[in-house]
Formats: sequence, C-alpha cells, structure tokens
Amino acid sequence: MINLERTNTELNNEEQLDLANLTDEQTAFSIENLDLHYGEKQALKGVSMRIPKGQVTAFIGPSGCGKSTLLRCLNRMNDLIDNCNITGEIKLEQHNIFDRNVDVATLRRRVGMVFQRPNPFPKSIYENVVYGLRLQGVKDRRRLDEAVEESLRGAALWDEVKDRLHDNALGLSGGQQQRLVIARAIAIEPEVLLLDEPTSALDPISTLVIEELITELKKKFTVVIVTHNMQQAARVSDNTAFMYMGELIEYSDTNTLFTTPAKKQTEDYITGRYG
Amino acid sequence: MDNLNLKRHISGQFNTELENIRNHVLLMGGLVEKQLSDAISAISTLDVALAEQVIKNDRKVNSFEVTIDEECTRIIAKRQPAAGDLRLIFAISKTVTDLERIGDSAKMLANVALKKDASKQGKLLVSLENLGRECVTMLHNVLDCFARMDVDAAFEVHSADSLIDAQYESLMRELMTYMMEDPRAIPSIMEVMWAARALERVGDRAQNIAEYVIYFIKGKDIRHLEEDEIAQLRE
Repeated sequence: MINLERTNTELNNEEQLDLANLTDEQTAFSIENLDLHYGEKQALKGVSMRIPKGQVTAFIGPSGCGKSTLLRCLNRMNDLIDNCNITGEIKLEQHNIFDRNVDVATLRRRVGMVFQRPNPFPKSIYENVVYGLRLQGVKDRRRLDEAVEESLRGAALWDEVKDRLHDNALGLSGGQQQRLVIARAIAIEPEVLLLDEPTSALDPISTLVIEELITELKKKFTVVIVTHNMQQAARVSDNTAFMYMGELIEYSDTNTLFTTPAKKQTEDYITGRYG
Repeated sequence: MDNLNLKRHISGQFNTELENIRNHVLLMGGLVEKQLSDAISAISTLDVALAEQVIKNDRKVNSFEVTIDEECTRIIAKRQPAAGDLRLIFAISKTVTDLERIGDSAKMLANVALKKDASKQGKLLVSLENLGRECVTMLHNVLDCFARMDVDAAFEVHSADSLIDAQYESLMRELMTYMMEDPRAIPSIMEVMWAARALERVGDRAQNIAEYVIYFIKGKDIRHLEEDEIAQLRE
C-alpha cells in the first residue's frame, strides 16, 4: 500500500497553508469580529478571518454581499463615508488599523488599492508612476527613473510604453491604463495590494494579462482581490472567501472551495443555482 | 433524483444539457447490462445467434462512449462547471469509460461462446454462469446507485466486489483441479479461465463506478484506500 498522503504532497508542489491556524508571521491581515453599519443597514456581520502573507486571497459573492465593503475596510477607505460605523478590529502585522495613533495616509501607503475602472491622472505615463513618490518628497531624478522602469516592468507594461513615457496616459488602451494604475500603486512599494474588480471593465485578453500579472505580483506583495468573475477567482487566487448578506460563509483554499465546498450556499453560488 | 439537484440552475439550458447527458449514461448502462447478461446466456446455452448479436451490438456501446465524452467536453468548454457539477461531469466521463470496458468483456465472453473448445466443458460452464450472474447483479445495482445517486447503496456495491473475487478464486481452484486431472482438456479449460478472468474484471469496473458515485456525492476520493479508511469516510 503506497502512502497516498505523502504522494499527494509530493505531487502538489505548492504548500497549502492551514487558514484556520495561521501563525502571526504568516498573517498579513487578521480580522476579528468585524461589524459594519451604513446608517441603519448592517453591511458586515461578525466577519473573522486571517489573510495570509504573500498569497492571493479572493472575495466572491453576489452583489451587495459586502465583499467590496470588507476590502475597503482594509485600508480604511470607508472612513470617507459619513454614516459608516465599524466595530471589531483589523490588524495589519499585529497592529490594529483603527487605533487612534494610526496615520491613515501611512496605512494607505502600505496598503495600495486599484479600482474597477482605470483612473490614471491626466498626465504623462512617467508622472503617473512617480506621483506617489513625488508626494513623499523624492526629487532625485535617477531614483525616479529607476522606480518608473521597475514598476512598469512589475506591471508588465514596460515593453509597451518605454518609448513614450512622456505621452499622456489617457492615450493608452483600457488594459494598459489598468496596468499603469497597478504600476502607480506598486511604485511606492506597498505591503498589500487591494484589487477591487480590476478587470471588469477590460476585454478578455487584457483580463488574462492582468491575471498573469497578479500571479507575478504575489511574489512581492500580499494581494486581496474582489471579483464578480468566479472563474477568475478560481484561476488567480490561492484562497477564496465566499460572502453572502454581509456574512463570511466559507473561507478555504481555492482548490477545495471550487471542487468540494463544505457549505451548500457556496455550492449553489459557484454552480449558478438559485439560492 | 433530488440529490442530483440538476433542475435549479439559473441557466435552463445548462439544466437540459446535464439532464440529457445523464439520460444517455443510463441508456448506455442499460445496454451494457443487457450485453453482459446476453453474453452469459449465450455461453451457458451455447446460443450462437445470441453471441453473434452481442458482438454486433458492441459497436453501439462504443458509440455511446464517444458521444457522451463529446458531450462532457462540450459542457466543460461552454459552462465551466464547478463543485458538484464538475464532479458530476468527471464521474460521468469515467463511468462511461468503465462501461465501455465492461462492454468489451461482454464481447469477449460472446466470442468464447462461439468456440467449440468451451462447449466441451459443460460442468464448468455452470460455475461460470453463476459467477456471471453475480456480476450482472452487481452491475445492475451500481447503475441503480448511479440513477438515484444513492451514496449508501454505492458503499454496499463497493464492498460487494469482494464476494465476486472470492467466487472467482474458488472457480480458479476448480479449473486447476480439472487441468491436473485431464491435461488434454487444458486448451478448452483455458477458454473458461479467460472468461472467468473477464468477469472478475467486470466486478472491479462496477466497483469503480461505485467509487465515482461516491466521489460525486461526497466529494471524497476513495480509490486505493484500505477498507477501514473507507468505513471511516462512510460515517
């Protein structure tokens, strides 16, 4: 009798983390009992989870399930909404991001974000990428040049734009603009990259380029992605969280969630059945 | 039917496609069961016409396999099934492979019926028929599990294979005794032996199908596990 478990691990090179028992070193975000209200309406109900470092974690679920809200909590984008009320805690590297002494600008530098529609500034490609660095007061021309090349390479855009860095960014295609925005986000070297439906406004080929990019990005950053496209979550993520009506229903490694989900609600959602 | 849960897809077209493919598997299963049963009757009654018919019908079994596999490929390409749907498609694709091989065994048995050598071994053919009926029952039961997607029954069928193995062993011993008693009969006894071997494989393949049913329903792969491990999963 061969030892099947051993064979299995030998065949699967990628080591699977035990999401329920992540150590502090393996954890980027630790979310504890998070409740969020928009006025009267409760958008998140007691969400607790740990998001592992250096991996891609996807949030999926139907519209209005709270996945974007949860993503926006991770760099406190919800602070900008007036009647938003949050209880519970989110720790980034073991420090609560809701603490009084946390500087939100610093937090957002550590936790970058890319939105659904590409939103480059109406400036040159070069100026878009160095925008964050200029804000930080970096003036050294050589350092800026290096950051531009490195970030554009990191966002798989360098070869396409290296000869026209000073052209207006709005002249790029949608897929290129989105990669430019990713380059802008990684230029300031964040620890985490939040992607809020980064490909929903793009054509299928640009989508594949971005997906390929995401697998590259996780070598340097922790990536958290919200997507409506379940196949995309299945393709790019290591771990998937399924949310429904503000609750975290199931959270497990992507392979398990898409082949043998534990909860019936998850099964119904990913196989396209009536809930 | 209920635990198949096919009808609740938001896409009605997808429901229809899954329903069709499942019906095709059931039709194919019915045909293979009949083929096997006819082949065994042909051997025990030395019915040449029936044997020839089994050989001819094997082509139908083969074309079922090809058609159903095409349907599986099409569904994977167009629908990107996940979770239970994905497991169902894989279970179906693997089931039809095993059914086709059972069909081949039936054809092989029919060929034995056509040979003159085998007809000399009347007594042995009775034992062979007993083993054969056991296999037909097992195949019938596993197809029943598949139709109803009944996991408990699938576990029952899965363990029933050991009975067939035991019966096969005792038939082998019987054949060896005959060979020692009368070496001139060895060629004809060998024919019976091949037939018995084919039947024993039918039992294994029926067991495989039970494994696919269990995989579809429970999401657990019980292939190559020891009996106590399987018993644990059953709970």
